[in-house]
Amino acid sequence: MAVDLDHIEDLVSVERGEIDRRIFSDEEIFEREMEQIFGRAWLFLCHESQLKKAGDFFEAPMGRDNVLVVRQKDGGLKAFLNTCMHRGNAVCRAEEGNTKVFMCTYHGWTYGLDGSLIGVPGLEQFYKNSIDRSEYGLKHVPQLDTYKGFVFATMDPTAPPLPEFLGATGRLGIELIAARGNMEVVPGIQKFVINCNWKFTVDNLFDWYHPSITHMSAFDSGILPGANPEMQDPTETIRPNGAATPDGTELSIPGGGAVDSVTVLGEYGHAIGGPKVTDRPGPFDNTWRERPEAREALGPVGMIVGGHPNIFPTAWIAVSVQLSLRVPLSPSQTEIWWFTFVDKSSPPEAQQMQVFMSNHVFGPAGILEQEDGENWTQSTKQTRGYASSKIPQILKMDLGEGKIIKEDGIARIEGATSEHGQLWTYGAWAAYMRGDSWDEIKAATTPGEFF
Amino acid sequence: MSLDQDVHSDLDYEMHTQFEVERFLYREARLLDRKEFDQWLELFTDDVHYFMPLRRTRSKRELDQEFTQRGEMAWFDDNKMVLAGRVAKLATGTAWAEDPPSRTRHIITNVLVVEDRGDELDVDSNFLLYRTRLKSEEYTWIGSRQDTLRRVEGALKIAKRTILLEQTVLLSANLSNFF
Repeated sequence: MAVDLDHIEDLVSVERGEIDRRIFSDEEIFEREMEQIFGRAWLFLCHESQLKKAGDFFEAPMGRDNVLVVRQKDGGLKAFLNTCMHRGNAVCRAEEGNTKVFMCTYHGWTYGLDGSLIGVPGLEQFYKNSIDRSEYGLKHVPQLDTYKGFVFATMDPTAPPLPEFLGATGRLGIELIAARGNMEVVPGIQKFVINCNWKFTVDNLFDWYHPSITHMSAFDSGILPGANPEMQDPTETIRPNGAATPDGTELSIPGGGAVDSVTVLGEYGHAIGGPKVTDRPGPFDNTWRERPEAREALGPVGMIVGGHPNIFPTAWIAVSVQLSLRVPLSPSQTEIWWFTFVDKSSPPEAQQMQVFMSNHVFGPAGILEQEDGENWTQSTKQTRGYASSKIPQILKMDLGEGKIIKEDGIARIEGATSEHGQLWTYGAWAAYMRGDSWDEIKAATTPGEFF
Repeated sequence: MSLDQDVHSDLDYEMHTQFEVERFLYREARLLDRKEFDQWLELFTDDVHYFMPLRRTRSKRELDQEFTQRGEMAWFDDNKMVLAGRVAKLATGTAWAEDPPSRTRHIITNVLVVEDRGDELDVDSNFLLYRTRLKSEEYTWIGSRQDTLRRVEGALKIAKRTILLEQTVLLSANLSNFF
């Protein structure tokens, strides 16, 4: 059944906590996402530490466009589409590296580090000097900016400036990495493909209901510290309420569930969801927050936020000191890109420990993430059945009951594990998809009293 | 002893070693495909480094930076403890990514003893790991392995394994199998 694109708001009901399954597989919806979300929102491209020397470049996705981010001779950054102005061939075929120029291998058109067209074979003999090179530089992204070393761009010249787009919530999300010290990206971006819709990969990061079940084997095997009884808060034990294994045994749910949680809801669709910071030892160290500079950068709300921020639409700041970019390829295919950070001012052993944790928790061979892909793949598949597609997906946990506390310019809900973060994201999704103006998107994503 | 006999005995020795190494690697592959992971784990020394670096599409003149190095990001960067943890995870009965279990077949070829130091051997091999899951999911990983095999109490053990995959963007949702 075709989706009615004139009434996109009908596909997401924030009031009922219901989502139309077709948004996870419909081709027209995907095309509109490319235009209204990935063609407008500020998107994370890379981190400045990946581009140290003049000529260093990194290819980043913006929707289905490929953008080259390039360190300039004057130390600045530029970003332009990786497509020749002549016949469209990619002017660079490496994922990253260092270069003097970008030469198209089709006809030899050559561009400088700033994207300007500096060489055209046969300009006099064949073109009779009839084309003006200054008109055919590589197409720059309309807006490029950085925040604390995190490089973002938008394809929309009318988008609000980056600091405004990020707002207090997005900036706090970035501080949860940046405020740890002198942060640099570790060489090697893990990139892998999952046959699922990109939205599952995004909303899952707010989902602290799933780890105890999906990632049960990580806790059961003792490979993650959460399974150590001394590290479990007895109040975190999740009661099975009838849940059982296929042989009928009552499900024994290990620790790792976050009952005491805090969810931040931000303008333009950003959110942070997950457990409140506690003194209990866990896999991730929180002592870095106590440094005076970190304390100031985080503010009072940042000091208690222990979960995962998402910079809308697809940049997840993970507690493992990583940024996971979710890259939509098609309605049913998504790439995951993991950027891993270390504090270069910390002792080498601490940096090695950080890399060791990052290599083993997330990523396709990660102790946790091995299990995620199949959930999302199957959930995506079950949106295509004639009958299945008519069943709404539900996000009703603590629906409408979350009292919003406003402090330090940030809106948050405290309480047990909820689905507020996911639902907030889908509410914002609908506002972008309706084609709302930037002012309307901001108004639609300004938290009220309850959610 | 004549020169001919020396050459002969060298070749005999190499053939014997080749046979010993191949039989070891084939038995290892059989353990993996039979999912006898506890026995598989016993094939590794306690100081093993099991490493699959990331690979990046780089220009030819920067090909020396194609693979990540130890201490950088990787697909696998495991010591014996982590390998044991992965095996323990698979044995929990709650490792959903392998339930229903994947069907795997490890094809090991091009086995070459690169260096024989007596107590340790450097061995290259190629692999094809074929995996199917559920009704119709199919994955193929092809690459090479650079192993250091060590003689421990008369038996070969894997002291080091570096796995080089012929993919940059990994074309699968996970790596819940061993290489």
